[in-house]
Amino acid sequence: MESQVVEERDLFDAIARSGARALLIGRRALVVLGLPVMTADYDFWLHADDVEVFNQGLIAMGLASSHTPADARKRGRYVLENGEHVDVLIAREVRTVTGETVTFDSTWNRRELATLGGGVQVAIPCIDDLIATKRFAPRPKDHEDIRLLEVLRSSRLRK
Amino acid sequence: MTSPVQKTDPEVLAAIRALTQRLLSKEEYEALAAVPISDEERAEKLALIEWFTRRYPTPAARLAYIRRAYASWTRAA
Repeated sequence: MESQVVEERDLFDAIARSGARALLIGRRALVVLGLPVMTADYDFWLHADDVEVFNQGLIAMGLASSHTPADARKRGRYVLENGEHVDVLIAREVRTVTGETVTFDSTWNRRELATLGGGVQVAIPCIDDLIATKRFAPRPKDHEDIRLLEVLRSSRLRK
Repeated sequence: MTSPVQKTDPEVLAAIRALTQRLLSKEEYEALAAVPISDEERAEKLALIEWFTRRYPTPAARLAYIRRAYASWTRAA
């Protein structure tokens, strides 16, 4: 399959149209909130029942899955690629490094919607939940991201 | 006069990647998280956020900027 650069808004539009419960997490979610951090990839946390519709929605964008849905569910994560790299987490719940359990359902229920123009929206976790996702498997840069998110949260509380 | 961008040594890049991508243990994470955000750090981060959101006021503009910046950065690396 020929590699192609995916139009960002088309990507989010395709995900929204698929009907999949998909949360944009990782650094691109921070960027949506207004934090200037660099990243190459797209990271999504997807409801485990929605792998098929998510993949189907992205076929038209040329994004191919690294694993079958059944294998992806067993592994808890997979990748979609073609010019872009989309990491997909499909765990129903994840334990953070500090021992808290974060469930997809509660995170989805508290999600925020960001509008990208043209009627396209992307779902992201609320700030508290985004901080929790940064504790799933933290690297030094995740700690820095958490501090940025904490500053953003406190500035929002003051407004 | 500007000087041409120097390519980064691949070994240096690999060392940076290894350092920044390694997973923190619970103890390492808790030690880092225990350090409070100082007033100076808070002000710096807020200034950065305010600059970014003023210059790129919408989520779409922010995402597009990061995409362009990353592409430009990786071309230079």
